Amino acid sequence: MSNFECFAESVLDYTARYNHNMTISYGPENLTGKPVKYPDYGDCVDTYMLRKYGRWWIDSENSQKHYMTQDVEEIPSQDYVTLRFEATVIPTAVVIYETYNPGSVVRIWGRHTGEQWIILWEGKPEICPQTSRYFSPPIRQISDLINEIRLDLNHSLLTYQTALDAVLLAGKQPTSELQRKLLSSRLLTVQMDKYIKNESNCEGNLIDNVFTILPYDVIVHIFKYLDIKTLCRCAQVSKLWLSATLDPRIYSHLSLKRYWHKVDNRLLEMFMERCRALRKLDLSWCGNDNKISEEVFTRFLENSCKYLTHLSLCHSKFVTNTSLKNITHCCKDLTEIRLHDCNLDLYASSIHDDELIYILQNTPYLQHINLDMCSNLKRLDNITEIVSQCNRNLVTWSSWKIERMTAIGVRNLAKCNRLRELDLGWCFISSDPEDCLEHIAQGCKDLRRLILSRWRGVCDHLLLPIIRSCKQLTQLDLLGVYISGDICDIALVSLPKLQLLDISFCDAVKPEQVAVFKEYYPHVAIYHSLEFGV
Amino acid sequence: MVSLTYRLLPILIFKEKANPSLCPRFVDSQKKRKFSAADPNIQRKSEPQLVSAVCGFSKEKKIHRLVKGQFGDDAWFSVKHKTADVLGVADGVGGWRAYGINPGEFSLNLMRTCERLVRLGCFAPTNPSDLLAKSYYELLFHKKRILGSSTACVVVLNRENSRLYTANIGDSGFMVVRNGRVIHKSEEQQHYFNTPFQLSLPPPGYQADVLSDQPDSAITDNFPVEDGDVILVATDGVFDNLPQNLLINELLKVQGERCASRLQTVANSIAWMARNLSFDETFISPFAESAFANGINTIGGKPDDITVLLATVTI
Repeated sequence: MSNFECFAESVLDYTARYNHNMTISYGPENLTGKPVKYPDYGDCVDTYMLRKYGRWWIDSENSQKHYMTQDVEEIPSQDYVTLRFEATVIPTAVVIYETYNPGSVVRIWGRHTGEQWIILWEGKPEICPQTSRYFSPPIRQISDLINEIRLDLNHSLLTYQTALDAVLLAGKQPTSELQRKLLSSRLLTVQMDKYIKNESNCEGNLIDNVFTILPYDVIVHIFKYLDIKTLCRCAQVSKLWLSATLDPRIYSHLSLKRYWHKVDNRLLEMFMERCRALRKLDLSWCGNDNKISEEVFTRFLENSCKYLTHLSLCHSKFVTNTSLKNITHCCKDLTEIRLHDCNLDLYASSIHDDELIYILQNTPYLQHINLDMCSNLKRLDNITEIVSQCNRNLVTWSSWKIERMTAIGVRNLAKCNRLRELDLGWCFISSDPEDCLEHIAQGCKDLRRLILSRWRGVCDHLLLPIIRSCKQLTQLDLLGVYISGDICDIALVSLPKLQLLDISFCDAVKPEQVAVFKEYYPHVAIYHSLEFGV
Repeated sequence: MVSLTYRLLPILIFKEKANPSLCPRFVDSQKKRKFSAADPNIQRKSEPQLVSAVCGFSKEKKIHRLVKGQFGDDAWFSVKHKTADVLGVADGVGGWRAYGINPGEFSLNLMRTCERLVRLGCFAPTNPSDLLAKSYYELLFHKKRILGSSTACVVVLNRENSRLYTANIGDSGFMVVRNGRVIHKSEEQQHYFNTPFQLSLPPPGYQADVLSDQPDSAITDNFPVEDGDVILVATDGVFDNLPQNLLINELLKVQGERCASRLQTVANSIAWMARNLSFDETFISPFAESAFANGINTIGGKPDDITVLLATVTI
């Protein structure tokens, strides 16, 4: 065996990125190759940056509440990125070079292309000092060859956006063909999972006897509180329990995101028998590597999802336009659809606008719309017009990084009076927002969260109406907007509920001013991130 | 005259390449066929590539902070990818200083983004103007507002077919010299005298008043190169101050040169000559000649930032 080290060669998959996939700035591509920034610390374009941090996204009304509260992981993964390495090794170390707000890596998985994922390390997110970090956690010793690494990230403890520069995989490589064969046929691995079947079932009978006294409905009710793993174990206890675990009443809410690595067609078919009246379904992250076929998913929809109210298919590769159409056909009661970051091909087709409009028209109770980075949506004016006509109950609108957004579009949105969260970050990086902020100020007085990152041509007097009329504002993101320190001061004084103010990269606001703000308004989290550290 | 010491800041980019002629003899023997397919190292030696050196000066007499890839408002990059070797220079338009904008920022970020795009393989070796366009587009996605404008010139050696693909916007440029003869030279693009074509990101409200050329207005060209050809990529600080015959004399010295340090010496001397002449008030520089042709009576060099990227082709 020889030692071998290599940096990531390519990025296979990811759930989050800062920019849309037409650009490489802050993109996951920057994870490949040698570290370019480390050991420097700062907010740089040539690293992989994530947008979300801290509790702000979890607190948002737009955030997805877990569909199965009994099945929440202790350390939830919020995002992941999968990398491929040039060489296939038995891993001895994985090093992550973090160059801005480190501490978000919670799990490291490894596998050989096409095989099962093996967990290498798991740990809680950490609060780290504000320096770059060479993160090399002790990984589990395995005897499998791997060439892919998946990092699970949890940004709940971060104080600001995190940046990863590079990932190094170190390990041992078989030197001879014999070694390689031995390893690939897994002769060296101890067969752990050959459990012994216990023949005595007297205890089972005992349990059965006890539980026959309990009304069946009570057992089902108790089972409702169990997570899927425990349910599976329970199903093996006795026939009575098995039949109880098959009861459709247990499965009104189903979230399989946590078990992404196990979910495939077979599993979905198994659930299809059990789920008759699903209300909430979360299949995020599932079905990559063609593990779920569209046909099975469509059958699942028809069979189990007639009364669905919440559907989350974030980053599920099997979703296409046809299945989207099926969703709108089958599920008339939907109040929440999450396709965020999901299947980028979805929007690459020619009917994307119409498709979206169709959904919008058919779901009058829609409250949350998230279209972040759907760069192929073209007729934004049209879409926003439909929204202002058909979806007046809208509470959140998010169209982060949609450059085709126009002032007309924003004015349309301003007609949705119940809007509480409005994310229009990076929508006007080259076009002119005109007077649309004034319309927002007049139309959406209940606004809590407003994101105007990198709007071009926003200056103090355009922002004033917002500050004057939206007194409920708790979060205001003005990253890269050309405003002065004075308007920040006015915002801090006149918005009593303000909790977050992001004025990173606002060149006209001096660091000294920010220091003063931080001192006078300790209850507000003020971010003033710069290219070279905070 | 100003002192020498703090201005001569040559930066060596590439280590000396192994001379193919020194390769072990087995290449000639029958083993060649066997190895050339299997061993990537041998394959690589036969591939065309550039040996390059860079030198330059800021027009400021005092240098505050030396940033890699930058000489004053000029910026450059030089990067290798498995399919191509890419060189580029950009000259930030100094007029932005009056608006409180650092002119070097736009050019530096433009070049750095080009470099990153090449390193990540997000480019086509046959389309350098697309590389410029992509890089320009990326600037919009920086969190930091990057404003200003810049001329740019990108030269790509496509390893596959040993052709040079070039794109040029404005008055920076390139020159390819073979045995003292100019094979190719970029054309200047000017709106009017001393106002070159430029890529720009003006501050909001200034769009109407600013000259802004789209990346697709770049003049593109492609032509085959041969072993030993000398490529000079430089900003107008060089072409405006050094007469072509002087330039060719220097370039002749490195015809077929494979040693990066000897290349560096010549790059230094070109930059140094341009620098000296730019401050010479009595010298009839190419800039003065062109001014005269435009009815402006002036004499002397044109003090400007100077960037010299010098490369030779080895095949």
